[in-house]
Amino acid sequence: MAPTMAEPPAIRELGPSPFAGTKLVGELRLQVGTRAGKAIATRQYHQGALRILRPHYLDDTAQVCYTIVNPGGGYLGGDNYGIEVSVDEDTSLLLTTQSATKVYKTPGTFARQDMVVRLGPGAVLEYVPDQLIAYRGASYRQFTSVDMHEDSSLLFCEVLTPGWSPDGKLFRYDEVRLRTEVSVGGRLAVLDNLLVRPGEDSLDSLLFLQDYTHVGMLLAIDAKIAPGDVERIRELAYRVGQAQRTPVHLGISQVPGPGVAVRALSNSTEAINAVLMAVVDELRHHLRGQRPLNLRKY
Amino acid sequence: MPNTPTSPGPGHLLTLLQLTDSALPTGAFSHSMGLESYLDARTVHDEASFTLWLERFIAQSLAYTDGLAVRLAHEAAGAKELARIDALVTAAAVPRQIREAGVKMGARMLHVATSVFPTPELEAYRLQVESGACSGHPGIAFALGAKGAGAPCADTVAAYLFSTVTSLTQNAIRGIPIGQNAGQRVLRAMHAPVLAAVDTIFTLDEEDLGAAAPGLEIAQMRHEHLRARMFMS
Repeated sequence: MAPTMAEPPAIRELGPSPFAGTKLVGELRLQVGTRAGKAIATRQYHQGALRILRPHYLDDTAQVCYTIVNPGGGYLGGDNYGIEVSVDEDTSLLLTTQSATKVYKTPGTFARQDMVVRLGPGAVLEYVPDQLIAYRGASYRQFTSVDMHEDSSLLFCEVLTPGWSPDGKLFRYDEVRLRTEVSVGGRLAVLDNLLVRPGEDSLDSLLFLQDYTHVGMLLAIDAKIAPGDVERIRELAYRVGQAQRTPVHLGISQVPGPGVAVRALSNSTEAINAVLMAVVDELRHHLRGQRPLNLRKY
Repeated sequence: MPNTPTSPGPGHLLTLLQLTDSALPTGAFSHSMGLESYLDARTVHDEASFTLWLERFIAQSLAYTDGLAVRLAHEAAGAKELARIDALVTAAAVPRQIREAGVKMGARMLHVATSVFPTPELEAYRLQVESGACSGHPGIAFALGAKGAGAPCADTVAAYLFSTVTSLTQNAIRGIPIGQNAGQRVLRAMHAPVLAAVDTIFTLDEEDLGAAAPGLEIAQMRHEHLRARMFMS
């Protein structure tokens, strides 16, 4: 009997898919290694509503920047997306998105994205996507699992914002979960399991959003992040937060790994981004001597 | 012929009462789990605002962290499963003081439970903590002690939740402050939220463990540099 849909081609080189058995609306698998002194995709595969743009080099380092594109436009209920990223030894990857990820009303069931990351010894991944916009009635779950070495480096951030109606009124989505599990040297170090249920009003939301609407998170794991660095990052983030026109409510803490976690609440994507990008730039400078990140340069 | 009792008898009840007693030396009285930041911000400032905060704390945080850990530990089939729950619940405590509170209270609860209600499972968990394979968590030690005494899982979860609620209320009595009678009214008002949380906990699974509300986490993180602290978290 002929199958109704063509089976995706087997990609022997990339090994078995971590998403085997799940029907995916979009799938992206990327392996990045170093060739002729520069980081570059050595193997890649995509199908459905996920693609990547051609590589960019944003500074004079060997770090490659890839941009994830979702030509489908947005996530719907029951949609499953899968992203697999492997970064080889001593290779540096900056991963971003072309535009905000939008999650529309998901009646019945939530939209889901699974991301599986492997970082080789000395490998670097900076994951700095555009914001995630969740519209009224949206439920979304994002599961990220990172397996890294003691001397690899991870920088991971997300900004979560509510969708808005044509008259500019903000919607309250149902629920967003961003579950990020990081193992260092085979041992679970951090489980950042963010849950946001905006509820009907600020009393419902006392522990979630209080009177704010936007959430930001940043997680950095690197053996070179010392307790003194956490204090410095806290002071920097508070200072940048206070300089914003829209208030930013911040928490910063040291996590095992070692590393640092940042939480931000605000009413503005720009204000949260200003704080998170200041932390990103500080970490890039401190850990790798890299210049500030400018994603919109090209 | 004598009747066979269908109930396990009240034996496990005494174990639960002893392990949930606020005099149990776990150090719970010195941890506010972020509440003190809400006191500092005056968000929580009297009986009514504390009642509201505590109700949210049970439903939106405690159920997903310690509450679910107690259930999973009670149901765990062996040392390997326990080690996984221990790793997850510890790694999920992203704010440093919450992680340290778990390890500190975990060691004390484990010490009390192993010396007073020793079971092979508790002893195995103690060895895993001693060797560094596990971090130690009060909910897991409590669950194993209660399980050893024959306490059903739901009773164990409810008892643990209510003991945490009692500690936090005692801390609020000192921290806000509110009167002892007000504290008792709050505790009575928490019966329904605790029972609702037990129901919720039985609908959750491992991937829910440690789900955290960002506002609460920020309060727990900011507690690290709060001036004039009464509590360690």
